[in-house]
Amino acid sequence: MSYHNPVYLFLFLPAVLLAYQLTPRKKRWMLLLLAGYFFFWTISGKLVLYLMGTTLFTHYIGLWLELLKKSCAESLEREKSSDNNSEKSQIKARKKAVREEYRKKERMVLALGVCVLLGVLGCLKYYNFFAKNLNLLLEQAGQGRIFEMKTLLLPIGISFYTLQAIGYMADVYWEKIPAQRHLGKLALFLGFFPQIMEGPISMYEQTGEDLWKGEDLRGENLSAGWSRILWGLFKKMIVADRLYVLVKAVFEHYQDYSGSIVVFAAIAYTLQLYMEFSGCMDIVIGSGRLFGVRLPENFCRPFASKNAAEFWRRWHITLGAWLKTYVFYPVSVSRMVKKWNRFGKKHLGKYLTRLGATALCLFPVWICNGLWHGPSWHYIFYGMYYFVILLAGAALEPVRAGVIRFFHINEKALYWKIPCILKTWVIVFTGELFFRANGLKAGMTMFFSIFQDFRLSVLWDGTLLDFSLDKGDYMVIFAGLLLAAGIGIIKERNLLKGKGFRDMSTPLRWAVYYGLILSVLIFGAYGIGYQQVDLIYAGF
Amino acid sequence: MRDFKKNKDKWGRIFLFFLILTVLLGGMSRKAAELAEDHENWVHYRNKSALLLGKEQKNTLDVVILGDSLSYTSFSPMQMWNEYGIPAFVGGQSGQNIQESYYMLKKAFENQKPRLVLLETNVLFRPQKGNSGLTMTLAAMGSYYFPMFTYHDIWKSILTGKEYPEENYKGFQFREVTNPYRGGPYMKETAAKEKISRTVEDYLEKIRSLCRKNQAELILVSTPSPLNYNYRKYNTLKEYAERMRIPYEDMNLKAEELGIDWEKDSLDGGDHLNLSGAWKVTRFTGKYLHENFSLPDRREEEAYALWREEGEKYGEKAKEKLEAMWKDDKITGEEVENRRERSLPAYE
Amino acid sequence: MEKLIGILNDIDDSIQWEKEQGLIDRRLLDSFGVISLVSELEDSFSIEIEAGEMVPENFNSVEAIYRMVQRLQEK
Repeated sequence: MSYHNPVYLFLFLPAVLLAYQLTPRKKRWMLLLLAGYFFFWTISGKLVLYLMGTTLFTHYIGLWLELLKKSCAESLEREKSSDNNSEKSQIKARKKAVREEYRKKERMVLALGVCVLLGVLGCLKYYNFFAKNLNLLLEQAGQGRIFEMKTLLLPIGISFYTLQAIGYMADVYWEKIPAQRHLGKLALFLGFFPQIMEGPISMYEQTGEDLWKGEDLRGENLSAGWSRILWGLFKKMIVADRLYVLVKAVFEHYQDYSGSIVVFAAIAYTLQLYMEFSGCMDIVIGSGRLFGVRLPENFCRPFASKNAAEFWRRWHITLGAWLKTYVFYPVSVSRMVKKWNRFGKKHLGKYLTRLGATALCLFPVWICNGLWHGPSWHYIFYGMYYFVILLAGAALEPVRAGVIRFFHINEKALYWKIPCILKTWVIVFTGELFFRANGLKAGMTMFFSIFQDFRLSVLWDGTLLDFSLDKGDYMVIFAGLLLAAGIGIIKERNLLKGKGFRDMSTPLRWAVYYGLILSVLIFGAYGIGYQQVDLIYAGF
Repeated sequence: MRDFKKNKDKWGRIFLFFLILTVLLGGMSRKAAELAEDHENWVHYRNKSALLLGKEQKNTLDVVILGDSLSYTSFSPMQMWNEYGIPAFVGGQSGQNIQESYYMLKKAFENQKPRLVLLETNVLFRPQKGNSGLTMTLAAMGSYYFPMFTYHDIWKSILTGKEYPEENYKGFQFREVTNPYRGGPYMKETAAKEKISRTVEDYLEKIRSLCRKNQAELILVSTPSPLNYNYRKYNTLKEYAERMRIPYEDMNLKAEELGIDWEKDSLDGGDHLNLSGAWKVTRFTGKYLHENFSLPDRREEEAYALWREEGEKYGEKAKEKLEAMWKDDKITGEEVENRRERSLPAYE
Repeated sequence: MEKLIGILNDIDDSIQWEKEQGLIDRRLLDSFGVISLVSELEDSFSIEIEAGEMVPENFNSVEAIYRMVQRLQEK
């Protein structure tokens, strides 16, 4: 069962809503948890045990960390009261020693927690990748193959809930949140059914307590939730699932196509991925909203970004935020970066020191980002691609600032913004080309074919009608994109002055509902002649 | 009291919302169905047989055949008409699942009083585990009550003139291509059985009771197909048919009696039959129905003038094509291409 | 406090640091800015700032930064 499946929309979701409302408020969390595990089970069967195991383990680590913190506080208290005669500085030194000691222990516990969770993820998701590449290395060295390939079943959403669990442990360690004593609460945080398949990756502060509240269903939430779900279906079924056929054909048989078609397909894939992933997020966030739960947003009009860094603050936001909080910042205060800063100050000057530190902190973020998407070199390349671009952006910042000052450019004016946005598009399309390609080699071939064989004429000589997309399909895709872009621009430029869908009169709002429902039913890519398309990010 | 009123208002609004929605869907469904009926060429291949079945003259069909692609590549109603005067119709669809078979039958009974219902048994072995079965049920049910789901793509024909032209002889089309099956015997005796999904069993039961209600007899038939059938499936079906007291015929065990020649009669290497294979299966089936179920010969009846006319047209064409297929053992490259172009794929 | 503003001006002297209440929320300080500020703060005030302190609430205004520095100094 996935989120765009009629069984989810017409049976599962209504059934859970009804049962939720009928359950006494205090027990509603149990119902949601049960629904989550059932949902998980319909996709991954027995593998739900992995989720349960992760939950138990995370819970335990959280409690352990809390215990250490408590006994640290007690020891400090003892130091303070035991010895009134000592010098203040002595007490301070002793307290510092105690703190250090416990800090070390806590760090060990956290490391244990993170390593075990990453270990499970690594074994299940990356074993074959490492085994294959190690074998290659060993073969080079004249040894035989040592590691055998295994078919490992991956529990659905493991890449998502593992990150949430690690974030939770780190938050407890940093004392951002107290450890959650109640196992059920933590289980629900990790296993809320709308989030299971493809996020958003939330932090405990964001959703942990909301999920627990068990608020009554409210008309306002229901209408906001369902309209969001409809909008998501619109994006996925009308636009994304149509583009799928074209994208698949070109990326799988890229040798048969000229450079211009490759460009077209790269753009088509970016749009497909956006409409599909953000559409699914609309369904997910809408589903949460039905129960009064506000899940974090994952997209914020990414195509209005003026540079790559901004793009990543607007695209898959929760993954970016997770990496920033749990990779970028920890690295930035690590001993290695501190050493570099000290060294740089003495020998390199401010600019290079800063640039070096930025590189040191960004590198792990983008390795993680690439690897997270899957065990393959082209994902790693994708990560490194953005690493280089963001680093270049940071390096050229003084130049950019200089240009703006020298020519008295108004950064908010359209003549400056639009070229910036277009430049970002080119960067994004290129990135997604490598991201979607079947392997790094294919990606390279496709990329270089753009410069060898580029004829615009293929765009109107009928080649595009070969992808089992006819004129009507292109019309619908175009209209759907236009509508989405229109809504995006209205929101981005705040043209309605903060007023929105909610403030419309009832007849108008209903008309929008009916319009959405009917357009999905009429123009949706379902039934004969279309393929049902699985969720892309559920595969990561 | 105010709370109560507020609640009533709320439920009233929800009710009104869904009422309007249902009216909208119903209206659009009616419009879509009308459009489809008026413009056969706007309807996709897979839906065309269902559409034509609905358009058949009232109470003229004696036999309705259901099933997936095996059904409409194996049975030719016009041949049965020409040979025995049995008016039949194939309500088959590529990849039909049993839910769709059920609703196809339901639709047939709206207008027709067939005495026999033939179910090609390959639909029974379509896996329908949990969620996928439920999805199929929802889809088939939705499409039956709101035909706009079935015909939702018709806007393409209106806006861009997209058409699906093809000949259709009561659900059958000519397929002249030959790709031999050379895998040897495939019905190896065993005691093992193939499993049938729960959902399938439930829907088979629904089909049975629908037939009972409409005083039609249900017959299970397995057509010759090395890729789709084996002895395990035969065991399952035989046991089921005996338990339910339904007639069951497995032609895979009678390939010799039918005269199936796997060099000549297969469309695609043992999956579907071509015209030549269909001719043999239909000849056998017509005889079988004629002898066992005492169906009347309607060839002289007044109401069947159109059938006679179409039967003649069909007979001539089929004869010509069959002779061409049988005459030359080795047809030349160009002719292969021509035939391939003329004949529809089994799956679209 | 003055020392702090000195450090901030060193990073970017075009911002009216004392007046801003949304340094992070309005993106006057981006994550690169935050990490260089943190390394300066650590050196100048001889404190240790953990990654867990890097939340918008601690960096949105000069006062907030100052409060965090004082809190860490007491430790």
